[in-house]
Amino acid sequence: MSMKKKFAALGIAAILATVSLTGCGSKKEEASNSPAPSKPAATESASAPASETTDNAVKLSGDFEIQYFVGGYGDKWWKQVIADFKAANPDLNIKESAGPKINEQMKPRWIGGTPPDFVYIDGPELFNRQMVEDGQLLDLTDWISTATNADGEKIIDLMAQAPQQYDGGKIYDIPLVLNAWGIFWDKKLFADKGWEEPKDWASFLATSEKVKADGITPFIHTGKYPYYILRSLLYPAVVSANNNDINIIKDMSESKVEAFNNPALLAGLNQIVELRDKGFIDKASVQINHTDSQMLFLQHKDAFIPNGLWLPNEMSKDVPAGFDFGFIPSVTQAAGGKVIANTSTATVGIAAKAKNPEAAKAFLAFMFSKAQASQFAELSGAPSNIKGDISSSNAPNFVKDAAKFLTDSNTVVIPFFAFNQDVENAMYDATVALTISKITPEEWIKRVSDVAKKVSK
Amino acid sequence: MNSGTAKWQRNVFIASFILPTLVFFGIFTIYPVVQGLYYSFFEWSGMSEHKTFIGFDNFKDMFHDPIIWRAIGNDYFLVAGKVVGIMVIATFFAVALTRFGFKMAGFFRSIFFIPNVISVVVIGVLWNFIYNPQIGFLNAFLSLFTKDQVTIAWLGFTSHTIWMLLPPAIWAGIGFYMILLIAAIQSIPASYYEAANLEGAGQWKQFRNITIPLVWEQIKVSVLNIMMTTLNGSFVIVWIMTQGGPDNSTQVMGSYLYQMAFRQYHFGYGASIGFVILVLSLITTIVLQRLMRHETVEMS
Repeated sequence: MSMKKKFAALGIAAILATVSLTGCGSKKEEASNSPAPSKPAATESASAPASETTDNAVKLSGDFEIQYFVGGYGDKWWKQVIADFKAANPDLNIKESAGPKINEQMKPRWIGGTPPDFVYIDGPELFNRQMVEDGQLLDLTDWISTATNADGEKIIDLMAQAPQQYDGGKIYDIPLVLNAWGIFWDKKLFADKGWEEPKDWASFLATSEKVKADGITPFIHTGKYPYYILRSLLYPAVVSANNNDINIIKDMSESKVEAFNNPALLAGLNQIVELRDKGFIDKASVQINHTDSQMLFLQHKDAFIPNGLWLPNEMSKDVPAGFDFGFIPSVTQAAGGKVIANTSTATVGIAAKAKNPEAAKAFLAFMFSKAQASQFAELSGAPSNIKGDISSSNAPNFVKDAAKFLTDSNTVVIPFFAFNQDVENAMYDATVALTISKITPEEWIKRVSDVAKKVSK
Repeated sequence: MNSGTAKWQRNVFIASFILPTLVFFGIFTIYPVVQGLYYSFFEWSGMSEHKTFIGFDNFKDMFHDPIIWRAIGNDYFLVAGKVVGIMVIATFFAVALTRFGFKMAGFFRSIFFIPNVISVVVIGVLWNFIYNPQIGFLNAFLSLFTKDQVTIAWLGFTSHTIWMLLPPAIWAGIGFYMILLIAAIQSIPASYYEAANLEGAGQWKQFRNITIPLVWEQIKVSVLNIMMTTLNGSFVIVWIMTQGGPDNSTQVMGSYLYQMAFRQYHFGYGASIGFVILVLSLITTIVLQRLMRHETVEMS
């Protein structure tokens, strides 16, 4: 009998425990996760033009939370810039929410309406266009038009690539990184074999012909991630065919149907078809991921690979001795045409529901200075989006070269445009289908413009 | 009075076992299902504070989405292929290892079971290497018989690429069902086979008239289990090996759900796909149970 009573008591205890657990779950973790609700101390000086200058005008205090993803660029620069900012604003209590999984970890906070103040938009499960459409980011249009950094320079004038404009000119996030897509090869291999390095479409095809005759496949890409070939080959091709006017890419990113019916797009797609029909594209491409394609490239199974400037860094452990990366932002231009550099970036923004927007704006202004530009290049291994001379910094050589390329007046720079994900995915699928001869360029255009039509309704 | 308390105590005792399980089942199974169904009526990016109620629009959209139909087709293709492939091979191995008195039976039993111990992710990566057109085992093997190097992209056909996912899925599944059938066959009294032998029945007749009827319950359970794990779990192998590509030709419902919810930011649509998976699993379970019901034979 007493045994039974004990069991009953145990059972009830278990029930009570689970019931209290459910109670926790339904409160959406607000209590445990969110920072102590503090009044942003900056309110006392809200009337001052706080955003236009940094710490010297306004004394920032209170809590300030920064969310940053730690991926290919590491976190060395973030730790440094936050320490610098903290030194300039000793009263500010800075909280860092960072890590390779931080985007997933912070998701409930964004959904629950208690986001961090400042966010670095990089890595999976965070996407700037979607955040803008969801109203998660603060409108920075007015702020950026006048904001200056500590050196008194206007931030917008310092930027190598302009921020993306949504809904007819609104700015919500600022590009922090300036990276570029392009075509890589091994200079050493080319010199040994007597192949000519490509400068334009004609020389690229001529070299590919020779490469193929020598028994090596000219071109490999990753079919699992078709944006590598899209952004390194198709976008530059389309811009070249559009008389170096980048607006076609902008219009495509805004899902404007007429942009997809522009003959320049067809011309660009036909360049991919030309590669395909001449047998230059490695048949393995369709089914492999980026790492596998990069490995095959490093093993000299293939001569060219479309990739981003992070490639040497990403593969540094596997690069064979003597391998010498050659790089050009685009090969699709006609002889004598301008080189088209399609950029890749990661942006920063401020949450629409930030509790301390003044601190966030001050931090934004703080990070866009020339001093931070060379520090960024050094610590994260990529050029920052700040026009500044980094040749004297300790940044790796290919970063310096890239920066030179991207700031050259003869290069047409395509700033990063975030596409609608339905349209972009249709482009991915169609591009893979195109490279394996499943569809024609006309069908590519039909498919993608149908999706564009649907989403722009 | 006294009996009343005893009855009450008995009920409390029973409840103390049932209720915690029920509560956990409610929290971790029923609640997510209801929540999923709830989200499927909204247009929601999965990242936003705001959701828009759109009623059945997600389900209506699904009707006009060619990819979802292909995904459902691929799912049932995998179910059919795996049921046939796994059951035929697992039954063959089980019979071979029990009825034919191999000396090495224990060794082979372990060997065949190994793929079951390996995580599906590892299996996907492994078979990706086998199928790799440049450095893969399959092309290297085929190249032994041809003059030129074979460079077939096994996972990159313009259509029917889903066929290539069957071998890894079957290979990974055999071991478990083989063990299940071995146990069932071993519980059949040896005297049945002896009697059949005396009557002059050969191995095939014994298999057809003794083994199959007496392990039918296990076969039924195996088929249902293969069906359910495939409809709910083929996501993993698809995502590791092809991510649904090329051009959505290997998309299954699970991978398409992931694609829509987390890559194209249509969380509501993803939730409605999840609901379709649930409904289809239930319907298929009922249909299969009906189809396989009548042949049960009792061992006396």
